[in-house]
Amino acid sequence: MENIVVRNHVKVIGQGNQPIIFGHGFGCDQNMWRFITPAFMDKYQIILFDYVGSGSSDKGAYTSEKYQTLQGYVQDLLDIIESLNLQQSIFVGHSISAMIGMLASIKQPEYFQKLIMIGPSPCYLNDGEYQGGFERNDISELLDMMEMNFAGWASYMAPIAMSNPENPSLTQELKQTFKSADPVIAREFAEATFLTDHRNDLSKVTVPTLIIQCSEDSIVPIGVGDYLHRHVKDSTLILMEAKGHYPHISHPNETIQCITGFL
Amino acid sequence: MEQRLNYAPCGFLSITHEGVIAEINQTLLNWIGFEQTDLLHRHLEILLSTPNKLIFHSYFYPTINLEQHVEELFIHLKHKDGMSIPFLMNARLYTEDMVERIDCILVKMKKRIDYEQELRSAKKLLEAAYQEKDQALANLKQIHVEIEQQQAKLLEMNATLVELSETDKLTGLKNRRFFQEKLEQQFNSFYETAKPFSLCILDIDHFKKVNDTFGHQAGDAVLVQLAQLLTQRAGNEDIVARYGGEEFVIILPETEIVAAKELGEQIRQTVALDNWPTGQVTISIGMATVTLEDTGTTLIKNADDALYASKENGRNQVTHFCDMK
Repeated sequence: MENIVVRNHVKVIGQGNQPIIFGHGFGCDQNMWRFITPAFMDKYQIILFDYVGSGSSDKGAYTSEKYQTLQGYVQDLLDIIESLNLQQSIFVGHSISAMIGMLASIKQPEYFQKLIMIGPSPCYLNDGEYQGGFERNDISELLDMMEMNFAGWASYMAPIAMSNPENPSLTQELKQTFKSADPVIAREFAEATFLTDHRNDLSKVTVPTLIIQCSEDSIVPIGVGDYLHRHVKDSTLILMEAKGHYPHISHPNETIQCITGFL
Repeated sequence: MEQRLNYAPCGFLSITHEGVIAEINQTLLNWIGFEQTDLLHRHLEILLSTPNKLIFHSYFYPTINLEQHVEELFIHLKHKDGMSIPFLMNARLYTEDMVERIDCILVKMKKRIDYEQELRSAKKLLEAAYQEKDQALANLKQIHVEIEQQQAKLLEMNATLVELSETDKLTGLKNRRFFQEKLEQQFNSFYETAKPFSLCILDIDHFKKVNDTFGHQAGDAVLVQLAQLLTQRAGNEDIVARYGGEEFVIILPETEIVAAKELGEQIRQTVALDNWPTGQVTISIGMATVTLEDTGTTLIKNADDALYASKENGRNQVTHFCDMK
């Protein structure tokens, strides 16, 4: 069996026994938790990781088939929990990671004690009455923008690289604006994120859940927090004073208070 | 703001930690058609479409906070009249007196983006062409595999046909056509090596009576049983064939007169002693061993003459042509 710790660049820190797992969102890696983790060092066992394809994960483990839906990422999370033999973990997930944690808890409820979702959304696309915040053409514009923001897109030839994964231009250490090294992985992660709809899974959640929403989340409309709160049985909704979609970076103290208040 | 920065040939924008616009220069205002009062103290989002908001929040914001700088971010700002204007943006996180500012420099890249779009569409066409090529190649490979399979099938069928064309259906022995071919080959190797071979022709005695008494099915059963006996008795190199009717031939490669006569006698006895559903069956045998004067025709005729002699002399016996002179 492959080494999950290496594959997902898993880091375990902190002096406590109660495991708390932090899952990063789309386009980032475990570094995003930098301002949050110090508050939990004393009392918790903190588990940080990168999803396959992100950050310092083993990108060789990435296959389009596995990660074209969120289930591939759900499996990443379950693999980590199983390989570290964690019991009754607290899972903190930002953005799409909140959904990944939720799906994992539906599969293996006994692994989780509590779920904490920061800026979650079960569906980013508008659909009739439901306002996810995005129209379909917003998504295609986003994918194009992303592509053009990745170094190497022009030299990257999808059909050739697919048949030749050792393409040296991809393994080269390119100086990039963003961390994500592979334009195809980033694009597929974006597709898996923004084109999925997990509204029907909300009622299957059995783990106590905290929903943290920013008062003016520019990505997830305010109504989505209410929607989640209505459909997830044992859930608490907190509306932060913070604005934006990254309260754990912009307002770390308020974010920490929300999390510790729930625990 | 200093006049030179205010009218510098690039856009200058300073935002707070929360993303609120604190300063903006005249060049950028001119490019996007706003007045300063429209934008100051407003969140930068006022200038961003939904996808650009996401780029800003997912990529720009975490990166600037974690790395303190961002280089060459491609982003669109909204013009007051709704148009979307592409910019290239560099940014740096700057802290003075405990106050954070994110300073951004923006350069319009309308022309550059047109080139890039051209490049992208050319790349997409190329990718499609590559994919088509790969697909075509895969199809060709598939066709090649299919052809090879068909060819193997044909070869197999051909082998079956050859087998059928040289086999006697009733007894499973080789037929006369095959025998003729082998006889020719024997002559060739005899001319090369001078090692003589022998020929044995045999015929069931009173076979017509068997047919008349027990019917043609019983007659056929006798033929099949005899074929089996001959095959068992003959050596591995010997070629047993049904010559026609109740007549059989055996080519005995590298076999001289004496050995040929011995084998003929063994076969005769085996047949005479075997259990037959029709009562005793006997055969008459004629043999000939090749000489330098022989051709296929003469050799067969000699063996046939010997067979005739066996019949004349009372059947159930072996005659070699050499003993007739």
